Amino acid sequence: MNLSNMAFEGLFAYNTLVVMIGTAAVGFAAGMVGSLGVLRKRALVSDAAAHVTLAGVATVFALTGKRDLPVLLAGALCAAIVGVAVLVFLKRFTRTRDDAVTAIVLSVGFGAGIAIVAGMTARGVPGSAGLEHFLLGHTAALTSGDAALLAIVSVVSVSVVAMLFKEVSLIAFDQSFAAATGWPVAFLDYLLVVLVAVMVVVGLPAAGAVLVTALVVIPPVAARQWTDRLVVMLMVAGLIGMVSAVGGVALSAIVPRLATGPVIVLFAAVIFFVSCLVAPKRGLLARVARSLRSQGIADEHG
Amino acid sequence: MSMGELFSEVGPIHGWAMATAALVSVGAAAVGSMLVVRKMSLLGDAISHAVLPGIVVAVLAGGQPGGPLVILGAIVAALLTVWLTHVLRRGVGLAEDASTGVVFTTFFSIGVILLTSVASQVDLDPACVLYGILELVPFDTVTLYGCEIPRSFLNSLVVVGIVGLGLIVSWRLQVFVAFDLAGARAAGMPVALATIVLLLFTAMTVVAGFEAVGAILIVAMLVVPAAAAELLVHRMHHVVCMAVMLAVTGSIVGYLAAWHLNTNAAGMIAVVLGFEYALAVVFAPADGFVSDLMSVAWLRWRVACEDQLAMIWRFEESAGVRRVTPPKGLIDCVARQWLAVTGQIRSKNGQWRLDSYSRTKAESIVRSHRLWEAWLGRHADLPLDHLHPPAEFIEHHLGSRLLRQIEDDLGQERRDPHGSDIPPEQ
Amino acid sequence: MTASAAPPLIEFHDVTAAYGRRPVLWNVDLTISEPCLFGVVGPNGAGKSTLLKAALGLVPLVGGNVRLFGEPLRNVRKRVGYVPQRETVDWDFPVSVMDVVLMGTYSQVGWFRWPGRRERQLAKDCLERVGLADLARRQIGRLSGGQQQRVFLARALAQQADIYLLDEPMAGVDARSQEQILHVLSELRNAGKLVIVVHHDLRTVREWFDAVALIDRRLVAAGATHETLSRENVQRTYSGVVDILDEVGHAVERRSRTS
Repeated sequence: MNLSNMAFEGLFAYNTLVVMIGTAAVGFAAGMVGSLGVLRKRALVSDAAAHVTLAGVATVFALTGKRDLPVLLAGALCAAIVGVAVLVFLKRFTRTRDDAVTAIVLSVGFGAGIAIVAGMTARGVPGSAGLEHFLLGHTAALTSGDAALLAIVSVVSVSVVAMLFKEVSLIAFDQSFAAATGWPVAFLDYLLVVLVAVMVVVGLPAAGAVLVTALVVIPPVAARQWTDRLVVMLMVAGLIGMVSAVGGVALSAIVPRLATGPVIVLFAAVIFFVSCLVAPKRGLLARVARSLRSQGIADEHG
Repeated sequence: MSMGELFSEVGPIHGWAMATAALVSVGAAAVGSMLVVRKMSLLGDAISHAVLPGIVVAVLAGGQPGGPLVILGAIVAALLTVWLTHVLRRGVGLAEDASTGVVFTTFFSIGVILLTSVASQVDLDPACVLYGILELVPFDTVTLYGCEIPRSFLNSLVVVGIVGLGLIVSWRLQVFVAFDLAGARAAGMPVALATIVLLLFTAMTVVAGFEAVGAILIVAMLVVPAAAAELLVHRMHHVVCMAVMLAVTGSIVGYLAAWHLNTNAAGMIAVVLGFEYALAVVFAPADGFVSDLMSVAWLRWRVACEDQLAMIWRFEESAGVRRVTPPKGLIDCVARQWLAVTGQIRSKNGQWRLDSYSRTKAESIVRSHRLWEAWLGRHADLPLDHLHPPAEFIEHHLGSRLLRQIEDDLGQERRDPHGSDIPPEQ
Repeated sequence: MTASAAPPLIEFHDVTAAYGRRPVLWNVDLTISEPCLFGVVGPNGAGKSTLLKAALGLVPLVGGNVRLFGEPLRNVRKRVGYVPQRETVDWDFPVSVMDVVLMGTYSQVGWFRWPGRRERQLAKDCLERVGLADLARRQIGRLSGGQQQRVFLARALAQQADIYLLDEPMAGVDARSQEQILHVLSELRNAGKLVIVVHHDLRTVREWFDAVALIDRRLVAAGATHETLSRENVQRTYSGVVDILDEVGHAVERRSRTS
C-alpha cells in the first residue's frame, strides 16, 4: 500500500463523513420545521411542493445544461414556491376544495416535470437520465461541497425557527389571537410556508421528490408521542429526522441498488411505530398498563 | 388533411394508445368525481401510491400486470391503507392529513424496496410505476377474435366496465352519502359499505391506470377533470358526465401533443388536464374570473345610471330645491352621457328632465330607498341622519319581492322617517 | 352613556360588517364612554361575535368605522385584550397552561425576544387570579371546559389592557367556573377597565352587567341594563322579525359578486 492509495482512502472517508453530516443536518431541520406544518394541519402541502420541484429542476437543466446541485436546487426552490403560491391562490379564489387543490397542483406539476424531462431525453440531451435518483433519492453522488451547502441551509432554517420561535408557535396555535394582538399573520404564514418549501428542496437529494414529504411528516408525529411540550417535540422531531436520514443513507450505501428515499422513510416509520407502542403516557403499552392498573384498583375497592 | 388521412397517419399504434388512455380516464374521472365531492382527493392520491407493494407481491406470486391477481393485491393494499389511516386517526390521535401521509409513504417505500430487491424476477420497471409507459402499451397484445388488442386496453375495459356498472347501480346511495354524510347515517344507510366500495373502485382504477400513466398521473385523471367539472356544472350527474368528457378530451389532446412535441404522453395528458382546469377557473359561467369581473363591472354601471336617475327625480319632486350636481368620477360622467344619448334624460333650459320610462325606473329606486329608510328606522336603533347612507347602498339590491315584504312589515306607513312620501309600486 | 371631555372608550360608527361578501351586521351605531361591564346579547347567528371581530379588525367592514380611545385600532392595539371563542384552537396542541398565558405577553416583549422573569411572574399572577395557579404545567387538552375558558381569560389579563373583548367566555362552562369568571370581570371593571362580553344567558346579564346591547343583525337597543332589558326590547331581539335582513344580505352578496 503506497502513500497515494492511503491518501485516496482518507479522502474518500472524509467525503462520506461530510455527506453524512450534511444529511444529518437536513434530517434534523426537516423534522423540526415540519413539526410546525404538521401542527397547523398543513402536512401535505409539502407533498405538492415536492412534486412540483421536478418541473423546476427540469426547466433549469433544460435552460442552462448545468448539473451542479446548487443550480438545480435553486430551480427546485423556485418551482416549490410557485407551486405553493398557486396552491394558496386556488384555495382562496376558487370553489375547489382544499384537498383537491393540493392533488391538482401535485399531479399537474409533476406531469409538467415529466414532460420536460422526457422531452429532453428524447432529444438526446445528455445527463437527463437520472430521473429515478431525483424521484427516490440518491446521496452517493453528493460531493462534500454539495453536502456542506445543504448543511448550511439547514442550519439557517433552524436558526430562523429558533429566532422567531414564539412568533411562529403563536401563529400555529391561535391565529385569531395573533391577528388581534397585532402580529402580521399573513407574513408569518408565508414565512412558514417558504421554510417548508426550503426543507422539501434540501431533502430532495436524500429522500427524493416522491418521498421527501415523509421527512417532514413522520418525525413530528413520532415526536408528539413522546412529549406534551412544544420545544421538546421540535427537538425530538429533529433528532428522529436526523437518525432516519443518516440511517437511511448509511444502509443504502451498503446495499447500492437501493434508493435512499425508501430506506429513510422506513427508518422513520419504524421509529414512529415503536413510539406509538412504547412512549410513556401516550404509547399503547402505557395506556394498556394504565387501564389495567385502574381496573385493578377498581376491583380492589369493589 | 382529411379524416381518413389523419387516421392512417395516426395509425393503429397511436390509436390504441390513445384509446387506452381515454378509457382509463373515463373510469378515473367517474370515480374521481365521487372522491372530490367527498373530500377524499388525497385519499385517492394515497391509494395510488400505497397499492405498489400489493401489486409487487401479486406479480411475484405469478400474476399478470393488470390481471385479476394484481387487482386483488391492489385492493388488499388499498383496504390496509384505509384501515391503518383510520387506526392512526382514532387510536393515536393523528390529524387526517398526517395519518394519510405516514401510511402512504411507508407503503410506497415498502413497495419500492420490494421491487428493487426482486427486480430480476419481476417485469415491473420503477419508471413505469411513477409515470407509466403508455407508448409501449400497444405492443403487448392479445389476440381476440382474430384482432390484435393491447392487453392493457382489455384489462382497463374490464375494470372500467365493472366500476361503471357498480357506480350506476349504487348511484343514489353514493350521491346521498357524498352530499350529506350525517343525514345518510341518520337514515340508516350503509355508509361504511358505500365508502369501502368507492375505495375498491379507486384501487381498481388505479391499477388499470398504472401501466398507462403510472401512480402519480392517475391522480391527475382522478381529480383534475372532476374539479374542473364542478366549477362548470352543479348537478352531480352533470358533473360526472362533464368530468368524463374533459378527461377523454384531455387524454386525446395530451397524447397528440406529446407525439407532436416528442415527449412523455402521460405527462402531457396531465398538463392538458391542468390547462382545462385553468380555463374553467377563468371562464366558468357562474364562478369564473371573467364572469365575476363582468358582474362587478355591470353592477357598477347599473348603480351609476340609477343614481343619476334618482337624483333627477328628487330634483323634479322638490321643484328645484334639491340640486342636480355634476357627476364625479369617470363612470358617473359616462352614465349621464349615456342616459342623455338614449333619451332617458333631457336637458331643457339648462335643467334635466326625465321621460316617462326613466321616471318609472327612477321612482322605483327612490321607493326602495325610502322603504329601506323606514324599515331600518323602525327596527334598528339609529339616529335620523344615519339612515340615508345605508339606503343609498341597499336601494340597488332590493328586488320586488323583498320590497313587498318590507311594505307588508311597515303596514300603513306611507312616509319615510324624513317625512317624504314613499312612491307607490308601479 | 354620558358625554365627557375625553374621547369615548369605544365607538362603532355606522358599522356594517360582512361574512365573506355577505353583510351580516347592519349599520351599528354604538358608543361606550365609561368603564363598565358591558354585555352583548342576542340570538344565535345575530352577529355578536362579528361585532367584536369588527372592533379587532378581524372581519372586513362594508361600511363605517370603529374607534378605540378616539383612535383607529392600529394605534392602540396594545390596550385591547381579546378572549376568542374556545373552538378557534386545537386543544391537542403541545402547550401547557403557562405557555398559553405567556402568549398574552408576546406583544409587550416584541420581536425576537423571549418572555423573561417579569413576564413569567405576570403570568403566574394572572393564573392566580383565575384560580389555575396549580395547573400551570398541565397540557391544555387535559383541562375541563371551564378551566380552558379561564386559561384564555388569564392570557387576556396578561395583556394588561384597558379594554377587554370576550367572545362567549362562559359557553359550556359549569356554574362555579362561571361565577369565578364573572368575579374576575367585575374586578376588572372596578379597576377602571371596559369589559365587553358576548354572552348568551340573560339572567346572568341582569344580575352582573352594568349595560347591555341587544343585537339581532342590527342594534336593537343599548343602554343601562335595567332599562334596556325590557320585555319589549327582548322580544324585538329574539323574535326573528328581521329575517328580511338575511335575505337582503344574500341579495347583496349575489348581486355584488367579487372574488
